[in-house]
Amino acid sequence: MIACVAVVGHQNNPLYLQSFTGADDALKLHHIVHCSLDVIDERVNNPKRSVITLNESYLGLLYPTESYKVYGYLSNTKVKFLVVTTDLDVKDTDIRSFFRRFHAAYVDAVSNPFHVPGKKIISRIFAVRVSGIVKAFAPGTYG
Amino acid sequence: MANYLAQFQAIKNTSDRLVVAVEDVSDLWPSVKEGLEKRLPLKKASLNNKTRNPVYVENLQAEFILTTDSRLRSRFPQEQYLFWFREPYATIVLVSCEDLDEFKTILKPRLKLIVQNEEREWFIVFVSKAHPNNDQATKNAKKVYARLEVDFNTRKRERCCKLDLNGVDASFWEDFDFKIVESIRNTLDRRAQFYEEEIRKMSEQRLMPVWNFCNFFILKESLAFMFEMAHLHEDSLREYDELELCYIETVSTPGKQRDFGGLEHGDDQAALLKPGFKPLSQIVQDDSFREFEFRQYLFARQVKLLFRLGRPLEVVMRGYSFIISFSKTLALHENTLPFCLREVWVISACLAIISSTSSTYDGLAAPDNEKEFYRLHGDLYSLCRIKFMRLAYLIGYGVEIEKSPVNSASLSMLPWPKPSIWPAVPEDASAKVLAKEKLILQANPRMKHFNIQRKQLPLEPSSLLREANRRRASLSVGNLSELIDYRQIDGSGIDGHQKFSPSTTNSMSRTYSGPNLESSLSLDRPMRISEVHVAAEHALENTVTDPDLLKSLSSLEEFEQKYMELTKGAADNYHHSWWKRHGVALDGEIAALCFKHGNYDLAAKSYEKVCALYAGEGWQDLLAEVLPNLAECQKILNDQAGYLSSCVRLLSLEDGLFLAKERQAFQLEVVRLAHSEMKHPVPLDVSSLITFSGNPGPPLQLCDGDPGTLPVTVWSGFPDDITLESLSLTLTNTLNTDEGVKTIKSSDAHILKPGRNVIKLDVPPQKPGSYVLGVLTGQIGNLRFRSHNFSKGGPQDNDDFMSYEKPTRPVLKVLKPRTLVDISAAVSSALLMNELQWLGLIVKPIDYSLKGSLLSIDTGPGLMIDESHTIDINEYAKTMEDKVHAHDSNTITENNTHPLEPKQLYIENGKIALPDWASDTSTTLWFPVHAIDDRMARAASADSPHRQNMVDGMRTIALKLEFGAFRNQIFERTIAVHFTDPFYVTTRVANKCNDGTLLLQATIHSQVKATLCLYDAWLDLQAGFVHVRKENGRPVSSFFPLVISPSSTAGILFSICIDNMAIAADQNEVVQAESILNVMYGISGDRSNGAHSPTSLKLGSSDKLFFKVAIALQRPILDPCIAVGFVPFSSNCLRVGQLINMKWRVERLKDLEASPSSSCKDEVLYEVDANPEIWMIAGRTMGHALLSNARGSRTEITVTCMPLVSGHVRPPQLGLPAMDDANISCNPPGPHLVCVLPPTLSSSYCIPA
Repeated sequence: MIACVAVVGHQNNPLYLQSFTGADDALKLHHIVHCSLDVIDERVNNPKRSVITLNESYLGLLYPTESYKVYGYLSNTKVKFLVVTTDLDVKDTDIRSFFRRFHAAYVDAVSNPFHVPGKKIISRIFAVRVSGIVKAFAPGTYG
Repeated sequence: MANYLAQFQAIKNTSDRLVVAVEDVSDLWPSVKEGLEKRLPLKKASLNNKTRNPVYVENLQAEFILTTDSRLRSRFPQEQYLFWFREPYATIVLVSCEDLDEFKTILKPRLKLIVQNEEREWFIVFVSKAHPNNDQATKNAKKVYARLEVDFNTRKRERCCKLDLNGVDASFWEDFDFKIVESIRNTLDRRAQFYEEEIRKMSEQRLMPVWNFCNFFILKESLAFMFEMAHLHEDSLREYDELELCYIETVSTPGKQRDFGGLEHGDDQAALLKPGFKPLSQIVQDDSFREFEFRQYLFARQVKLLFRLGRPLEVVMRGYSFIISFSKTLALHENTLPFCLREVWVISACLAIISSTSSTYDGLAAPDNEKEFYRLHGDLYSLCRIKFMRLAYLIGYGVEIEKSPVNSASLSMLPWPKPSIWPAVPEDASAKVLAKEKLILQANPRMKHFNIQRKQLPLEPSSLLREANRRRASLSVGNLSELIDYRQIDGSGIDGHQKFSPSTTNSMSRTYSGPNLESSLSLDRPMRISEVHVAAEHALENTVTDPDLLKSLSSLEEFEQKYMELTKGAADNYHHSWWKRHGVALDGEIAALCFKHGNYDLAAKSYEKVCALYAGEGWQDLLAEVLPNLAECQKILNDQAGYLSSCVRLLSLEDGLFLAKERQAFQLEVVRLAHSEMKHPVPLDVSSLITFSGNPGPPLQLCDGDPGTLPVTVWSGFPDDITLESLSLTLTNTLNTDEGVKTIKSSDAHILKPGRNVIKLDVPPQKPGSYVLGVLTGQIGNLRFRSHNFSKGGPQDNDDFMSYEKPTRPVLKVLKPRTLVDISAAVSSALLMNELQWLGLIVKPIDYSLKGSLLSIDTGPGLMIDESHTIDINEYAKTMEDKVHAHDSNTITENNTHPLEPKQLYIENGKIALPDWASDTSTTLWFPVHAIDDRMARAASADSPHRQNMVDGMRTIALKLEFGAFRNQIFERTIAVHFTDPFYVTTRVANKCNDGTLLLQATIHSQVKATLCLYDAWLDLQAGFVHVRKENGRPVSSFFPLVISPSSTAGILFSICIDNMAIAADQNEVVQAESILNVMYGISGDRSNGAHSPTSLKLGSSDKLFFKVAIALQRPILDPCIAVGFVPFSSNCLRVGQLINMKWRVERLKDLEASPSSSCKDEVLYEVDANPEIWMIAGRTMGHALLSNARGSRTEITVTCMPLVSGHVRPPQLGLPAMDDANISCNPPGPHLVCVLPPTLSSSYCIPA
């Protein structure tokens, strides 16, 4: 289950963060997403260390802990997409496909002329679309 | 084969180096032992690794053992085969012989027997005991050795070397070393090959029932051990890795249910670094090993090798992932393991890895590796910390754990331990239960500062109470509802949510605890939370064998100490790594604990770091959680500046993060502090809270020198109105940065409403340029605030490229100096002199309002304003229309302008206030002036017309217009106005009649751009002249009215005659020296064109004006007394350089006595006037010539002169200065011009006589 999705700007500022836990505990997810930026920074700054080449947007599993996993995706404009999932057994392809959809939704949202680049995304349509993507996400759904 | 396990273990423990067997054939060992053992360890050995690539090994340990030694003798052949790795890797045969025959007969067969074993790697050391001086012995030894070489050396390999006991050759030892290493290498290769073959064979049987992991393990580890002995650690490690993979595969194959292990005492402490923790024979399980112990064993072996290889980083890396994966494995077997063994094991494993590696890491590795190393240490600490917190929570310290996002993130998604049966409350635990209850009750959760009401973050995945009771054997989920006791303990912090626990469906968000419940437990009754804690504590005491951990969990203080230690460890290590955010977030946890213990200074420092991180990256939600804590620390520390700053930062966080009530509380604090007795004013940056910008729309435009009012939009982030004592803004000139910034101030107190406010600031006159807003400063009590940013919105300190590329919009433009107004004369043509005239001034504002302007008029000499009249004002454009209209209809009318527009103005003290309606339009001001000229106009002779000088009619008028909002703008101009008489008159005598009547013609030239109409004209004659027929001097009356168009002329003839009579008669009277022409005229002109009827008269009326012109009449010459005549030149032509005589004849016409003016006697004074550039006069130019007084006397005056230039030149003139011109006839005397020829062509200027 996806606990949280987040978009983080190129200056590591949060642009969008939505938790899907259903409880009033988004703050801890803020913390998780924020700390995951450490891993992204490390990968981006030490390309030789990272397993995945930076030619690819998908950063893979960032943060395996016992109880949740964080996956990352980095756009060309250094916008980061993160997913916190409590499913400990997720296929890479599923996550990749999820991120592609998520990225597409983001691109549409920021293409809105009323959106100020670098500011938080407040579009409701984006939120609905992301919720839809999250709901549709189930391991094995995407090819 | 599994039976050999114990033996195998024992062998491994005893043999740790390679064995070299020594076959001492000739009892030489005691004498060579010392020398041989000195060679150990082998300095450098070239061995082959598993892939047959050469590897150089240094300091290879080995041991010489005699073949007669019990260690080599007492082995069964099967054992030898199985544990081949411990068999000798080389055999040295020591022989000595000095007799060739003896060698042939005895020694050689024996040696053949020894070396016939193919599997041995052997070589022979021939020891020569011969003394060097003993030639015979040496010779014999050589012979024997030669024989030996022939017998045992092969073409491929030399197997013999010779050691001289007396005097060892250095080359021997090299040879010896080489031979040993060669033997070892060969043996190693052969054995490795053997083992590999065996392993391969066994691997093929993996899926068969006969498969036995223990056998495989023995083989595999033998190989690994052999590599380890040979210092081929890399290969050894690879064997262990393969072994681990194989094991995991074996274990994970479904089939047999195996014991997992981990149930023994002491198993809770990880044995990651202790391969010998338990003998392998103890952990055998059927044909394999127990996973719990065996995997730890394998890992311990790997770690040992990694340390040997000097790779602590890899130890940590493998360690961390091993712990994570093993923890998962433990979770699978949790129901069989002791309560919380998994957590306890992870704690001890992490600490073991940390302690083993932190000392070994020398920091010499690459910085990247170092960072990675620290990161992993941080991870280990962090993992350990999480597990430790989980244990502490279980035993009831949860109420004391900070419910921060960090802790919540780590704990709330971590499932509870899942023992098959939740531990039960031990007997006689009522005292403990009470103590726990007290702890829960007393632990009043810290109120958040500023009374912030926030739901606390969970530290548990689901309610512990529910989980514990659910897992108790005697309870079923069905009677869970009976648990509910609605006595709730507020904020006990055990609020739970079942978000990630799929098994629980209904949410219980409260803690149920009742102190009044019976403390004795029946199996049926659900446990209370305090009982759950006591039970967990009891169970843990049974699980944990580590006294340190037990101690750490024994009391709250011990727990907090350990917690602090772990948190600090994690934070410090993260700080050294790439993962700064992790470190800083943990700093927040350290700060929370410091705060709890009253260590506010440290807490504030740590909180500041955390806040700086969150604020820097705009994570406001997280910041909102920490910032109140920082503020509280600063408040307690009495750091007023910091506290104020924190309050302001709290206020500037996004809306929605705090309730309105809370925000009001922040504001109250700010205001209270600002007005409290702070010693020094506190400067504070409130850029994020109070923002400002210019008004939307175009910037305010001011003309140079104008003050203005600049409206500035100020957004207040305060939740309530806030009073600012003062407010000032800086303006920066974008065009000219040298000027620095200008501050504009508004000293009035402003009250800022929440949200948008418009504040008007007075701008003093500024230099031309474009200005942007700089910094807003102001004061609230003792708080001096500054705000920098230009626009509302966006995260604070945001230097986002999109926003900072946006050019700052100028709010004020001060234009370059330009003409704002123009005043010019409306009419360029002349006005009437000495009459009241309308002087028109066009006041033309040039895109600038003249509201409230004041026009000062200062007339120059000869001009005055008639203040008794009002001043007309009308629109300039209208005037023009009127003019057109007037032309069309040929009438002069004034259109009615707007009735509201006052058209009459008054002049006061030379100043006129312009009406408001005229502030933006061009207007024409008409004011009555009177130009005065006392001089009478004079008529000119028609022969030499002498026009009136223009300057005489020029009058100036100095204007000064004060305008602008504060009459700060001044426009000054002096305008020249031309006045003139209506006409000028020229006269000439048109005809001289024989009867003495003169016809005097007066020509009247109109000088104005208006139609003049002469009604009457008469001539008052001067003495000496009279009108013919004594008329009144008027021409024919039917002549009038005479209309003179502009710029045209008219003439009038007067017939006059000389009054001879009057001369004598009026001699003594004051005679009129000049004649005067009186003209009665009217003028019809438009004031917008030029001269017009005087103001006092109605426009267009026919009232008459009067004008006088003086005319000078000269009587004709009537009494010449001397005549002067010029005598013609003697020669026809004059030439340059030729002397000529100029002669004048002077003749007296009258007797001298008759002339009263003559005072001379019988001579006359003459003077020759000649231009010296043309004429050279020889002789005197002035003198007296004799002339008798008698009538008719004559004389000749001759002057010799010479022309100097050729051409028509004026000849010398003769003048008689003593005579009146009137008495000289034929004046001028002589020709006007004479012709002078150029000199004749000649070689010289000498003229022949």
